[in-house]
Amino acid sequence: MSSDPLEIPDVLKPIENLLKGVAIMKPGRVVALLESSDVVKAYVALKARYGETGLYFSTLVATDLKEEGKIRIDYYINVLEKNQYVVLRTHVPRDDPRIESLLKEAPAALPGECEAYDLLGVIFEGNPHLRRAFFVPEEVAGKGIFPLRKDAGV
Amino acid sequence: MTEEVSKVDKVVEIPMTVEIPVGPQHPAVHEPILIKVYAEGEYVVKAEAYTGYNHRGIEKLAEKKSFYQDIFLCGRVCGICNAVHADCYVRALEHILDKEPPPRAKYLRTLVMELERLHSHMLILAVTAEIVGFDTLFMHMMRDRELIMKAKEIVTGNRVLADYIMVGGVRRDLNTEKIDKLKKILAKVEPRIRHYWRVFEEDVTLNKRLVDVGRLTPAQVTSHGLLGPVARASGIATDSRYHDAYDAYAEVPFRIVTRREGDCMARSLVRFEEMQVSLEICRYILNHLPGGEAVPDERRLPRRFPEGEAFTTVEAPRGELTYYVMSKGGVNPYRVKIRTPSYNNVINTVPFYVGHTIADVPAILASYDPCISCMERVTVIDSRRGIRRKVSMRDLARGEA
Repeated sequence: MSSDPLEIPDVLKPIENLLKGVAIMKPGRVVALLESSDVVKAYVALKARYGETGLYFSTLVATDLKEEGKIRIDYYINVLEKNQYVVLRTHVPRDDPRIESLLKEAPAALPGECEAYDLLGVIFEGNPHLRRAFFVPEEVAGKGIFPLRKDAGV
Repeated sequence: MTEEVSKVDKVVEIPMTVEIPVGPQHPAVHEPILIKVYAEGEYVVKAEAYTGYNHRGIEKLAEKKSFYQDIFLCGRVCGICNAVHADCYVRALEHILDKEPPPRAKYLRTLVMELERLHSHMLILAVTAEIVGFDTLFMHMMRDRELIMKAKEIVTGNRVLADYIMVGGVRRDLNTEKIDKLKKILAKVEPRIRHYWRVFEEDVTLNKRLVDVGRLTPAQVTSHGLLGPVARASGIATDSRYHDAYDAYAEVPFRIVTRREGDCMARSLVRFEEMQVSLEICRYILNHLPGGEAVPDERRLPRRFPEGEAFTTVEAPRGELTYYVMSKGGVNPYRVKIRTPSYNNVINTVPFYVGHTIADVPAILASYDPCISCMERVTVIDSRRGIRRKVSMRDLARGEA
């Protein structure tokens, strides 16, 4: 991934003031680095600019970065109007992973948020559907294990 | 309708078990999902999804296996669209390695993925016919689907699990004899597909069961992240083949099929038209196959991968499939995330059952193409009399529950 702090791609203009950095992920995905408290604001701003049918929420990827003591959360948004994938990337602390839920703005985030909670223990505040054993079998979830954490031991 | 249903005091709870073949931290080849539908009288008033019956932990497993072993693992996420899974994963690896497959390999990958789209669409359209009670059509379509399976076998060597795509190319090449055989098969299949297409358009029963049922607006589609034929049937022109122009899609002519109606019938007709487009793509590829090598020398592939990450998408038969692969260097991936189209299309559409009749639920579910094979367990609860009994999905669809 290469960083170029000087240039802000066109597609990110609506969230220019929230950006902490910009990067490119292969192949050609625009990565917007954000504070965890700004993700919902950024999505609202993108939706306001491109319209409700001009983009859709595609994928939520949560990754355990154990060595850095963080969990990275990536929101992949397909901006149909620009034919461009935008990645909203943020980090939350590993010992207390909390972030505002995107569910009110993007109902499409439902399975992604439920899965990230069940597998990595990220709490999406405001999502009433979070529960253990959404995907993980009861016997694992019952022990309080989050299997995708690097130290889960599964 | 609300006034009408509020007079009815009987609550029927219908949990249905379906099988969606989605990715890793998620389902298995046949993952059962429970959709609990609460109905008052004939009408659905509430629906809930329960998942996690057969979670295989593929994402975790992928972190423990090598980059190359994971190609086979990803191919086994889904039995029906295994080549698209492998293609999406392999392209992510190729981006991390900065490697580009030769043109001939790109065309052959595209050919296999289009054959897969053909047999997958034929399967779900046949199942749709069966769900609404048209068993003969199901049998006929499944018979003709075998021709496509044969074509896939000719190209990949396997009828179902292709394991065809490898880093830097494909595993087998085509010769003139095989190309002729494939052309003959395509010529035989095309009139059959046109025939079934006409049956769907003209048959009274199919029209009664599918037209105006399960209608989705364009805004519902984008806000709920619905993908593939479901989105295109509501007028949203989303297609990864166009967005990402991967493999040979940058060179092969094709069009995005959309309709405006947004109902179950529109979703079926989008699939029929897409099959027509797929046949055209296959024929184009067979006539314009570039020369050169397609099969790389496996021994020359690097065992260790550099640090890097890639996010690839592919237009699977059910919609956009995405893979995120992260490497911290070494022989194993640090993170593999798979988001299959059924993941969005099945879980996110649960609220849209509300307001439809119980008999419409299976038809709507089938129109989302959730890869049905074990939805045959349904429980009906009569809360007034405290009776609980299980019925098959077919009885339910026919109003015999």
